[in-house]
Amino acid sequence: MAAASVRRDVTSYGIGLAAPLTLFFLVFFIAPLVQLFVLSLHNDTTGAIWGIGQYVHFLTDPFSLSVLGSTLLLGAEVTALCLVLGFPIARLYHRVGSRTQTLIILIVLLPLLTSVVVRTFAWIVILGRQGIINSTLLSIGAIDTPIRLLYTQFGLVLALAQVQMPLMALPLINALGRIDMNLEDASCSLGAGSWRTFWKVVVPLSLPGILAGCTLTYAAAITAFITQSLVGGGQMLFMPMYLYQQASTLQNWPFASAISIIFLLAVLAVVAVFGMLSRLSRGYGGA
Amino acid sequence: MINRRTLLTTTLTLGAMKAFPGLSYAQARPLVFATFTGSWEEAHKAVLVPAFRKANANASIVLDPMLSVDQIAKVDAARASPPIDVMLHDPGPALIAIGQDIVEPYPIEKSSYYKDLITEAQEPMGPAPFFQVVGLTYNPDTIKTAPTSWGDLWKPEFKGRVGITNLNSTLGTGWLVEVARMHGGSEVNIDPGFKALEALKPNLAAVAANPGALATLFQQGQIDISPGNFNAIQILKARGVPVEFAAPKEGAIAFKTTIHVVKNSPNKELAFRLIEASLSPEVQTTLMNSPYLIVPTNSKVPMGGEIARVLAKDTAELKKKFVFQDWKKINEQRSAWIERFNREIRV
Repeated sequence: MAAASVRRDVTSYGIGLAAPLTLFFLVFFIAPLVQLFVLSLHNDTTGAIWGIGQYVHFLTDPFSLSVLGSTLLLGAEVTALCLVLGFPIARLYHRVGSRTQTLIILIVLLPLLTSVVVRTFAWIVILGRQGIINSTLLSIGAIDTPIRLLYTQFGLVLALAQVQMPLMALPLINALGRIDMNLEDASCSLGAGSWRTFWKVVVPLSLPGILAGCTLTYAAAITAFITQSLVGGGQMLFMPMYLYQQASTLQNWPFASAISIIFLLAVLAVVAVFGMLSRLSRGYGGA
Repeated sequence: MINRRTLLTTTLTLGAMKAFPGLSYAQARPLVFATFTGSWEEAHKAVLVPAFRKANANASIVLDPMLSVDQIAKVDAARASPPIDVMLHDPGPALIAIGQDIVEPYPIEKSSYYKDLITEAQEPMGPAPFFQVVGLTYNPDTIKTAPTSWGDLWKPEFKGRVGITNLNSTLGTGWLVEVARMHGGSEVNIDPGFKALEALKPNLAAVAANPGALATLFQQGQIDISPGNFNAIQILKARGVPVEFAAPKEGAIAFKTTIHVVKNSPNKELAFRLIEASLSPEVQTTLMNSPYLIVPTNSKVPMGGEIARVLAKDTAELKKKFVFQDWKKINEQRSAWIERFNREIRV
């Protein structure tokens, strides 16, 4: 304890503090990732022949590319829906009393408090042939026979949006909270309409939150294996299921590794775009 | 005295013991039996495990339920000290496990029951203690006359009411082979099956990502008829879901469920004894009765109850009525089939 008397700069910490986490990441994340990459560089299923055959196979196969494309599109649809539905909630949050605020936070957090499997089964019940939506539409006479919602892209986007909503709403609430309300009042008093104020003042200032929310929602939506397979069904194939099929059912680990690496790079690319946008937006948001 | 250092050491030690439980055991670990999830796990927990423990001085055993393919992946990743001692496999994965050299030959000469098994169940690399039976499952509330053939799935009155599963599962793959056979194909000629599948599309209400999802779809009224597993629907029936099983006239499919001693297992003797227990007439008789209804393979077990009523009166009839598929041939082309199924069924 005597060594503590040595004077040191209290405002900075040695990077030694990050060592345990760094070690943990190296052993349990970086090392397996390297192993995965090495495995993907083999042309045969047993991993004896080196080569980039798996990547060539994926990148020249229109089917595989369409699976990647539809997965990225699914993420975009879910993110857009979350943003459209989440923004008003986040805005409302800062316009109401503290009791209602607690209620909103509770509603937003509620999905996080139940298991994703339970939430997904709930959606099966809601979207099913005898589910809430179909029975309501039938009883008001809007439809004669139940419409197909389960195992459709529409149903899947809806379910994923609900499941991932907290990831969008929380950063938005945080970002909107940091905007000085006087700025909006000033904009209005200087003659801008409410739409103009919204687009020119609120949206630019909340961009960091929008981008953080989009990144989180996007990454979560495209990798949501459980919801994708239970609500999407076997006729829609997305990257996580494609990967699982190759790794588990077919025991083709090199191709599965190549799929994961390609998927990882595709996701990183999208996240990088969001990151770049968020750096550009810092001119507004960081103010 | 408690100071920061001793506290830290204690915490780290406790943490390490939690993270690496092997440290805390002086003797070998308990026998690990990887059964299947769902009805299999329930049946094994209630019947097989108590029978094994009773016969082996309460030896400790752990059930670790997971899919066949996941069992293989886990053992393959740690061949020298496998985390599993006894594996349970569907026919396709069993051949993969044998091919990857991760299972031991069964010590037939030591076994008291092996010779009593029907010939189809006598597998030297791991005998089959049970059969799974796949036929047609349907909702008796909406389908008044029981279906009698795989071909009934194509009937126009079932437009938008049929469920199937994809080829990830043994069920889906086996079913497609039978469809191919019905149209002149076989295990080596799946083409007629895919042509028939194309014609089935108007009737399809759902292509489930796994057989378990079919159960949910029945429950939600999303589908009324599907190829299905005899055992899987027993749980649904017991829970009051209107669902019945019918053996198609082309022959219900019998999948051998084989049980294997894992290579390099530290518990080989106990593993052998667990498998012996699973082959014994006592365990097989109990598992055959309600609510488990698992088809026995020991010829000394007389068929009874629901199984005798719906499936077969005795092993002779069982062999005559059931279709046994050649999974060696299926496995050779399965990845190509899965790829083709992916492409052709995708919307």
